[in-house]
Amino acid sequence: MNETDTLEYFETILKNDPEKSEAVAAIETLFHYIKLDDAETLHGFMENIQKASKWLEESDLSGAVTSISSGCQLFLRFITLAKDPENMESDIQKCKGILVKRGHDFLDKVKTLRKKISKLANPFITDGSTILVHSHSRVVLQVLKQAMQDKKRFTVYVTESNPDKSGHKMVNKLTDVGIPAILVLDSAMGYIMEKIDFVMVGAEGVMESGGIVNKIGTFTMAVCAKYLNKPVYVLAESFKFARLFPLSQEDVPNKFKYKASKLNDKVDLTKEHPNVDYTPPSLLTLLFTDLGILTPSAVSDELIKLYL
Amino acid sequence: MWLRNGQMETIDIQIKDPIVRNKVDGLIEDLKHGNILGSYQLAKNTVEVLLHMISKEELANVKKLISVIREQGQRLMSAQPSETVVGNMVYRVLKIIRDECRAIDETAEEQSQESIQKSSTAPGDDVSNKDILSLKKLLLAEGDVDISDKSISSLKAPIIDAVNELLVELDTSQENISAQALEHIHSNEVIMTAGQSHTVEAFFKKAAKKRTFKVIVVECAPFYQGQKMATNLASAGINTTLITDSAVFAMMARVNKVIIGTHTVMANGGLKAINGCHAIALAAKYHSVPLVVCAPMYKLSPKYLCSCDQVAFNKFASPEDVMSFSEGEILSKAQIYNPIFDYVPPELVTLYIFNIGGNAPSYVYRLLSELYDTEDQEL
Repeated sequence: MNETDTLEYFETILKNDPEKSEAVAAIETLFHYIKLDDAETLHGFMENIQKASKWLEESDLSGAVTSISSGCQLFLRFITLAKDPENMESDIQKCKGILVKRGHDFLDKVKTLRKKISKLANPFITDGSTILVHSHSRVVLQVLKQAMQDKKRFTVYVTESNPDKSGHKMVNKLTDVGIPAILVLDSAMGYIMEKIDFVMVGAEGVMESGGIVNKIGTFTMAVCAKYLNKPVYVLAESFKFARLFPLSQEDVPNKFKYKASKLNDKVDLTKEHPNVDYTPPSLLTLLFTDLGILTPSAVSDELIKLYL
Repeated sequence: MWLRNGQMETIDIQIKDPIVRNKVDGLIEDLKHGNILGSYQLAKNTVEVLLHMISKEELANVKKLISVIREQGQRLMSAQPSETVVGNMVYRVLKIIRDECRAIDETAEEQSQESIQKSSTAPGDDVSNKDILSLKKLLLAEGDVDISDKSISSLKAPIIDAVNELLVELDTSQENISAQALEHIHSNEVIMTAGQSHTVEAFFKKAAKKRTFKVIVVECAPFYQGQKMATNLASAGINTTLITDSAVFAMMARVNKVIIGTHTVMANGGLKAINGCHAIALAAKYHSVPLVVCAPMYKLSPKYLCSCDQVAFNKFASPEDVMSFSEGEILSKAQIYNPIFDYVPPELVTLYIFNIGGNAPSYVYRLLSELYDTEDQEL
């Protein structure tokens, strides 16, 4: 499988199931890739996979590079967990077999994660509440839909979320299922904040600090919410946990902030709009994940459990 | 998840032993009428009833034992939802049962693994740590450890031992907290407290044996538990001042430390404490006075406050104490509330003093994961 094939496969997955997260699609692609891979040694095998992960991360196919990158990172962890130190070189077929089996189980489990999250978040949406949502997020959408099915009455404000105006998509999807949704300007975030009960956002990546990397404007929203003492709830599946510890906006890797094409063209980045920003943990109230409701400080614990 | 399957199957979850049944019903009755005062007594009574259930009930396997305790625990919890201690104790006992099962599992596995390792090594099986309930589990697609059909006979003794240890922990927690008093109260300090808490009272009395300090007690209208507290402290020879609730802010400027008790410690590190505590905490924040909370571990609850949902969170008492019923005419024209609790967000709390030592509110999640099993909480 070469670069174009891999990317094509990735693209078809997302096209066939728009509800699928980019991280899962990336993992699925990599599994498909290893089935066809013909490396003889584990070392070569690892190299090939790293190459394929790089293709995915550097593609312009979707905006969610952060999510793809955490998915690829997880996948590499799969392999290190599967390989046996003693017969590492000799038994690559066996190793592959284990990987493929685990991959199947993993992808099966992934389907249930959003349901788990909506179960956890459901009691927090009380009757008559007003919610502010930023950009388009599939987890947030599912949680709101679930609350709607449970016959709760609530109103949702959605920010337009420039530059890609993904808020429009979100509003359409919400109104389609009968949830009262109102589109507001990004710049009206501060204005609308006093009307709402809490902020609910998704995340492209959950960082080691417990902070999140998400669509640009999330940080602004969290700052506004902090000023008015409104809780900020983050909904994210655990495969979005990434091993990064950004200290500032500058510290977030450029590949997350800008499109790969822009980076390759070597344009002046100071004149470019970043696509994501980093929200520090002190501005977040709770994270709803499939591992349970976590305070931001609990995130690093989960990551240590996985990568140590 | 075998638990959900367990609920679907119709297992007999009735209690067979008449004495145990009476005990459970008696406790429920007491809970409903509010006969038991103080969370320590509540915790103790709950654990004792559960201990009886474990030792007296003849059950085939662990799965049945867990479902019986869950079912009865659910009854106890719903008898008085605002008393979180009951739930905490039910979760603790369930966790003990699970831990004992896993302990037996692991020793058995280690023995078998040793023999396997000599003959052949299977790749990928190197991760044997079963209780990692996390992302790793998701990755490895490990199933949950099935403890359902374990026979109970070999487990009963260790479980009962562990529950007895829990009872000892309950007994000694107040002592362990007050043992830390000298680390926190220094000579000539002015300390503010609110309402009445046995833990805080013991804490002060312990410190007073070695040090001289002043205590300002907030009276906490309309129940005036603070007045009782002030009397107790004064009769123990501590320099005590009683103030009204409205004087809190004015007095805060001269206070060195606020030390309060609490009803519950919530999962995010926040407090469910006596009404008026939020105002005290805010005043303390304004004057940068540290707010220290004395809480035994059994008050740690795995529950979160759902977006200021006061109805589910709070308890409302009769408004008689706020405005007497004899003033009938005004009563019919005004809404009068008399809430019992206050929610204090974690960012206002400086330190928790648990019976195992001092911890920051951000560390509470860690203690929770040690005390309770995540599987039990989705009842």
